[in-house]
Amino acid sequence: MRDFAAVAIIIAVIIVAFAAALTDGYYMDIFILTCFYGTLAVAWNLMAGLTGLMSLGHALFVGIGAYSVAWGYTAHQWSPLVTWPIGIGLSIAVAIVIGLLCFRYGLKGYFFAIATLACGEIAFFAVSATTALGRSDGIILPLAKNPELHLQFIAKWPYGLMIGSFLTLTLLAGQFLMRSRIGYYWRSLRDNEDAAEALGVNAMAMKVLSFAISAGVASVCGAFYAHYVAFVDPRSVLGVDISVQLLVYAIVGGMGLLWGPLVGAAVLVPFGMFLRNFSFLQGSEVIFYAVLLIGLALVLPQGVSGWVVGRIGKAKAAAELPS
Amino acid sequence: MNQLLQLEGVSKSFGGLRALHDVGFSVEAGEIFAIIGPNGAGKTTLFNCIAGAQKPTSGSIIFQERRIDGLRPHEICRSGLVRTFQIVKPFLGMTVADNVRVAAYVHERRNAGADAVARAMLKQVGLDDYADVGADELNIAQLRRLEIARAMATRPRMVLLDEMLAGLTATETEAICEELREIARQGVALVVVEHSIPVVSSLCSRAVVINFGEVMAHGATLDVIRDPRVQEAYLGKVEAVAWS
Ligand SMILES: Nc1ncnc2c1ncn2[C@@H]1O[C@H](COP(=O)(O)OP(=O)(O)O)[C@@H](O)[C@H]1O
Ligand SMILES: [Mg+2]
Repeated sequence: MRDFAAVAIIIAVIIVAFAAALTDGYYMDIFILTCFYGTLAVAWNLMAGLTGLMSLGHALFVGIGAYSVAWGYTAHQWSPLVTWPIGIGLSIAVAIVIGLLCFRYGLKGYFFAIATLACGEIAFFAVSATTALGRSDGIILPLAKNPELHLQFIAKWPYGLMIGSFLTLTLLAGQFLMRSRIGYYWRSLRDNEDAAEALGVNAMAMKVLSFAISAGVASVCGAFYAHYVAFVDPRSVLGVDISVQLLVYAIVGGMGLLWGPLVGAAVLVPFGMFLRNFSFLQGSEVIFYAVLLIGLALVLPQGVSGWVVGRIGKAKAAAELPS
Repeated sequence: MNQLLQLEGVSKSFGGLRALHDVGFSVEAGEIFAIIGPNGAGKTTLFNCIAGAQKPTSGSIIFQERRIDGLRPHEICRSGLVRTFQIVKPFLGMTVADNVRVAAYVHERRNAGADAVARAMLKQVGLDDYADVGADELNIAQLRRLEIARAMATRPRMVLLDEMLAGLTATETEAICEELREIARQGVALVVVEHSIPVVSSLCSRAVVINFGEVMAHGATLDVIRDPRVQEAYLGKVEAVAWS
């Protein structure tokens, strides 16, 4: 129950933040990017923090989602009702294939991370060399005759509403999963795969499921991004930067809890955008990230969320002690 | 034909090393059966083969009249044969109750039901006071009990216990032995790997002795441990005098 309370509080914060962002386009921009990276980081952590599968190739699924929209729209004028299912389906299929191959050969830990990194990079270079996908120049999504049907809006708030709702949905569905058999199986695999299998957990099926769900969510984020920015290129949606950013958000926010990485994104995304206001600080986010990471590893190894929950637990324990 | 588990000609090689050679024995429903043998004899390897963690190089393993060699560990568990680990393998990031809940989902799909089963099992092994603490806060005797609770939560017909009592105090040993007897009374067969001869002779009706991967003796516990070859190979001369 306490977990659902935490998620309820976070959803309330998302709603308030959205309402506050309605006042100013710049704030809405921050809200949208925070939700975008927050959703991605939560999806990534479903695998990494909660199933024990560290992927460094999640940009691949963002890219598949984004390119499905960009290519489907520019080449065929397909509506999102067509391109989103294609992107999600393709992402899930790719995740299942990569997962089956990796898990069949027992790739874990660093080896799995490197295998996924390689898959992401292969996609990056393949797309950069494919003329139909705009090569490294990318694809611009021109204005449609009936823009709303193609999720093209002049105002920013519809995008905020979309990604905020999707983040909320991801949190609710994720929390439901974590409190069900599947979530318990995932965490048992993270903690000890041999013991989990001996106790009836189908490790292969559960790991592939985690990968597929995570990839599907990432793909929706990618599709959203293509509509929002109206431009995709390999660097922005397939680059290893995205994969690494998710890792940073999750480590800063805490990987032990479903919503931990969202906290990381909510701190770091606005902070990064703030730094970009100062031209003399251009590109300095990376340095700040690095310093922050080192500092956090030393001071808050459980991440911000783990620290907060730990404090609440301690306060309760103290309150229960007879004085 | 009421053999619950039957092994025939089970062999396992690691490259050139022959860890098990032509091992055969059978275990009846509801009995407590011992596997004894010196360190490195192949007992854990045998458990790994039965429970599906490793695939035997040859031979057949039949559980409840069905061949299980080659099945995945989770399939074997779901067929009613569960194992514990010599080196305990708790889910350290989860609470004690949630550790057991994972196992309870084998038969109980509902969340509330799985939690109820988990708590009932913890009560049975005397860990109910620790249900909501992290598994990382338990000591070794408690972790062994947790292994038993998890195994029992899968509602097994047979449990393989690998050196469940090693390193425990006499009191802890006696308490866990009593729990094992209670489990056997409920009709669950137990196969225990155990070094202490007093424990084996008080707990187990029958035993098999494994030495260098081969069956050296097989039969009623008392006959087996009185077997001169067994005393020579396993008990050592000093203890042999003490126990003859
Ligand atoms: N995975 C493995 N790879 C290679 N050799 C192994 C492996 N597992 C066990 N062995 C070897 O097999 C033999 C039996 O080991 P084990 O079954 O652990 O013995 P026991 O449990 O009876 O002490 C030992 O010589 C051990 O070194
Ligand atoms: Mg052993």
